[in-house]
Amino acid sequence: MKKLLALFSLLAVFTLAAAEPQVANLRGPLDLTEEEEAPRMAREVNDDIRTDRDYPMAAPTIPHKIDGYQIDLKANKCLSCHNRQRVEESQAVMVSVTHFMNRDGNFLADVSPNRYFCTQCHASQLDVDPLIDNDFVSMDELFDRAAESH
Amino acid sequence: MKLTRRDVVKAQAAAAAASVAGISLPTQATNLIASSEDNRIQWDKAPCRFCGTGCSVSVGTKKGKVVATHGDQLAPVNRGLNCIKGYFLAKILYGRDRLTQPMLRKRNGKYDKNGEFTPVSWDEAFDIMAEKWKATLKAKGPDALGMFGSGQWTVWEGYAASKLMKAGFRTNNIEPNARHCMASAVAGFIRTFGIDEPMGCYDDLEHADAFVLWGSNMAEMHPILWTRLTDRRLSYPHVKVAVLSTFEHRSFDLADIPMVFKPQTDLIIANAIANYIIQNNKVNTDFVRQHVNFRKGMTDIGYGLRPEHPLEQKAKNAAKAGASEGIDFDTYAAYVADYTLEYAAQESGVPLNRLQELAELYADPNRKVMSLWTMGVNQHTRGVWMNNLIYNLHLLTGKISEPGNSPFSLTGQPSACGTAREVGTFAHRLPADLVVANEKHRRFAEDIWRIPEGIIPGKVGAHAVLHNRLLKDGDMNCYWVQVNNNMQAAPNMNEETYPGYRNPDNFIVVSDAYPTVTCEAADLILPTAMWVEKEGAYGNAERRTQFWYQLTQAPGEAKSDLWQLMEFSKRFLTDEVWPQDILDANPDYRGRTLFDVLYRNGNVDRFGMDEVNKDYGNHESEDFGFYVQKGLFEEYAQFGRDHGHDLAPFERYHETRGLRWPVVNGKETQWRYREGYDPYVEPGRGVQFYGKPDGRAIIFALPYEPPAESPDDEYDLWLSTGRVLEHWHSGSMTQRVPELYKAVPDALCYMHPEDARERGLRRGDEIKVTSRRGEIRTRVETRGRNKPPKGLVFVPWFDASQLINKCTLDAIDPISKQTDFKKCAVKIAKA
Amino acid sequence: MWSRMKQGLARAWNVLAKPSVHYSLGFLTLGGFVAGIIFWGGFNTALEAANTEEFCISCHEMRENVYVELQETIHWSNRSGVRATCSDCHVPHDWTYKIARKMQASKEVWGKIFGTINTPEKFEAKRRTLAEHEWARLKKNDSLECRNCHQFESMDFTAQSQRAAEQHSTALASGEKTCIDCHKGIAHHLPDMTGVPGWE
Repeated sequence: MKKLLALFSLLAVFTLAAAEPQVANLRGPLDLTEEEEAPRMAREVNDDIRTDRDYPMAAPTIPHKIDGYQIDLKANKCLSCHNRQRVEESQAVMVSVTHFMNRDGNFLADVSPNRYFCTQCHASQLDVDPLIDNDFVSMDELFDRAAESH
Repeated sequence: MKLTRRDVVKAQAAAAAASVAGISLPTQATNLIASSEDNRIQWDKAPCRFCGTGCSVSVGTKKGKVVATHGDQLAPVNRGLNCIKGYFLAKILYGRDRLTQPMLRKRNGKYDKNGEFTPVSWDEAFDIMAEKWKATLKAKGPDALGMFGSGQWTVWEGYAASKLMKAGFRTNNIEPNARHCMASAVAGFIRTFGIDEPMGCYDDLEHADAFVLWGSNMAEMHPILWTRLTDRRLSYPHVKVAVLSTFEHRSFDLADIPMVFKPQTDLIIANAIANYIIQNNKVNTDFVRQHVNFRKGMTDIGYGLRPEHPLEQKAKNAAKAGASEGIDFDTYAAYVADYTLEYAAQESGVPLNRLQELAELYADPNRKVMSLWTMGVNQHTRGVWMNNLIYNLHLLTGKISEPGNSPFSLTGQPSACGTAREVGTFAHRLPADLVVANEKHRRFAEDIWRIPEGIIPGKVGAHAVLHNRLLKDGDMNCYWVQVNNNMQAAPNMNEETYPGYRNPDNFIVVSDAYPTVTCEAADLILPTAMWVEKEGAYGNAERRTQFWYQLTQAPGEAKSDLWQLMEFSKRFLTDEVWPQDILDANPDYRGRTLFDVLYRNGNVDRFGMDEVNKDYGNHESEDFGFYVQKGLFEEYAQFGRDHGHDLAPFERYHETRGLRWPVVNGKETQWRYREGYDPYVEPGRGVQFYGKPDGRAIIFALPYEPPAESPDDEYDLWLSTGRVLEHWHSGSMTQRVPELYKAVPDALCYMHPEDARERGLRRGDEIKVTSRRGEIRTRVETRGRNKPPKGLVFVPWFDASQLINKCTLDAIDPISKQTDFKKCAVKIAKA
Repeated sequence: MWSRMKQGLARAWNVLAKPSVHYSLGFLTLGGFVAGIIFWGGFNTALEAANTEEFCISCHEMRENVYVELQETIHWSNRSGVRATCSDCHVPHDWTYKIARKMQASKEVWGKIFGTINTPEKFEAKRRTLAEHEWARLKKNDSLECRNCHQFESMDFTAQSQRAAEQHSTALASGEKTCIDCHKGIAHHLPDMTGVPGWE
């Protein structure tokens, strides 16, 4: 019996030692040495619903699939809908006027080459929930708070 | 227009207020923030927190919060542009799980290596730290202490840390994570030119006629520089872009000459181009005769693995890896004569016609060439050689140190250059390219630091990978990690990093803003102020030093790394850490704290609080009672002024969007080593590589040597690791920004569809990626932005839940001590 | 050598031109019928063989360029596993069109033999021309090969994204646009699109 107890207490100590305090939230409840099932690959959001931007200068995310979109030396699939002379037919949002400015701030006839690779700033979103919430406070919220406190 | 509930409430509130005041509101104003005071945002500049490009960002604050960020229109680097990470910078400060108080592993109210993380005061945190540090110093001496910092330290943080370790605790066991990132570039510069960092600058991007990417995916890793390169390519059709990589990635979208080569054969390709230049009489003989020496490097130098590893036992010259001997041009020409383009094509798998086109870019005297590289070249067991071999091509043709002709080493971290390299937070370095092994350099440093002669130890400290080995072996026992996530970043986590941190003999302290996996492996976690929560300075890849003010308060009790370092130094008396004989000879230094001798030394505390800009906070200066940042910077600047590393006066950097050193007579330097551009070149010399005593750069004869580990029958695939555009490094900041997380939430294993098919796998299948050292579980991706050739897979390392460094090998370049994260062997099976 | 061949040809013509002396008319009619079936069947079988993917990718120009590109797309792999093979899109199902297309395709085989597209660089140089042939054909036949699978009447607009439903219910429904007008480059990389309508 004593032996058994000793064995149990040893086991208890062992499990205590093995259980790591987990603080690395991006890993979830998982020891650093363990490997969890990899999450399934999520789908690209494709609902075409434009979302609010937290500030006007934030690059908008893409509300549709861009899987397989070709943007290279030969063609730019994005501009075939979003360029200035394409939006009447496509009814897509025209690229922002800033995109017609070159490095020196001069407006060009067409989209500036330095803006050619759209995905450097714009990304589509996958259908997943953020792992960790973000407490960023937008100007509107600050404004509302100020209004409420008056 | 769609009205949200909030809009309605806002409109009602405004209407109610207006009716009380007896005025009527124009209806269209209700959806605008009409009052100019409410509408006002305070805008300030700061360099971006992420990569080594060093974009300047306009940071908008309102009521003490950062509410917006956008590209700074006035900044020469990015002219109003940011990449996707930069546009969401404002949010990196506000992840919900910011660390706000120190946490110590405790059990039953006492520190316990296997205890639970328990909130403690800063006092208690520093008490236990000091206790451990002192016990270790007493038992084993200073070399059982270690510090692992970063190219994300501000200039003064790195400088203060270096002083604390090298002069305070008297050990050179301080390393930046830039060792994983830039060390091969540094050694390459020093070997070829005798001075670190590029001779050219980003303006080369607007002047070159050809760009050659040697192992760099700029499209994702340096997006803003890529916009400048793209601008040049698309605006000037004669411009050519050549991209070399071991797999196809987004930079190939702009490639006129796309080349996927077999891992490690870049050494052959570079030599073959040199040979092509010689064989076709395209050597710039005048330039070579006047400005170049030739040397043959040591070969068979091993892979920096543990000494008992068979590969190290086999390597003949591991101990003298950096040695070389002088040769002449003819000997060099004969050395590379075997490297024909045909041979290179056969070995590398790149079609011969493309290699010819590539070689011709360098050979054509009328074409200005900019070579660009990052981790493909640097994270390479022969990374220093590759750096040298690229310089060879520019030196043979004289295409260097003038607009558009530029071998340009890109950097990965915001201050890898400014802090890690220029301040010299490496185990072998001191500020401004001085080294600890040189007694004169040590004396010079001791003089500026106003400390007794003999304090700085001459023994080169342990390099980054060796830190983890020493921790595992119990030879290093107190370890402080700041601004980096080395549990996730360092190679061979299972066999080295993790056992090292969790070794019961060791006490591990990690300072971070967020609870990373490195924090989880620590014993004490210190909450840290980040980015614009402190006044800072970064130096980017083109030698540009940029400053920013503290624009907001850090949450809770979080304090900057600088504050932590300086505050901790107060806990040590010189009598506890400095040798008796030195104190006997310098009795004035007795009984003083390290804070007194390092930071209250008459230099660092020279500038009072009256000099601090009243419009901004400065939590360190407020606590210590003097303008800490200015004092540290001005003391540091003494190292480089008149020594080719001149920095401008402190204030100037708060006024400008950065300046490129050397800043002489108020003027920055764009191209070094060429008369007319660089004030250090003696009149009449034309070109002078003044880092070398005779002003000549070196062309190195270096061969191909195989990688440390290659695929075999069992582990049949190459594994390459790297980054993605949307996440920066280990993702501890960007994974907490919803837009970035949702763009790329998880790591994936990119592989060739036929490799997948042969293993009975398809897109989305869960797999195990297994090396001899460890395994991860991830999912197959056969489409998308990366297209590996058959036989190679790519897994990014940003994902904390898929720690790919469990698989990587801790083989390093024996000269630079930088890990090769791009080549090891794995096998893949369905999970 | 040339005169010998001429002699041989003349002799053969004589045999064919002479009325039969040995066989009955009935036999000849029936035999011709049987031979016709054999010949016709064989021709079609050969044609069918030439329609398989194995045949298409037996030359490396196809295997290493367009076939690799196809594998990255939804026409290769998708949720229901219906996969398009080369001929589904590139060979008309109607016999006369099919023959016409085959004759055109043989030009590409010609291209292979005489080396106008036998390297990736040369293939790239011709990519625009090759693509334009296909766009023109599909434009002319109102995207017939698309519609063999994607029938307008069977489209459930509610199952499409808003953006797609909008275009399909207007421009496509009215006949103003045909599939290929918007869906270029969905199965292979696009060529240099300079000057192509809609890609300004």
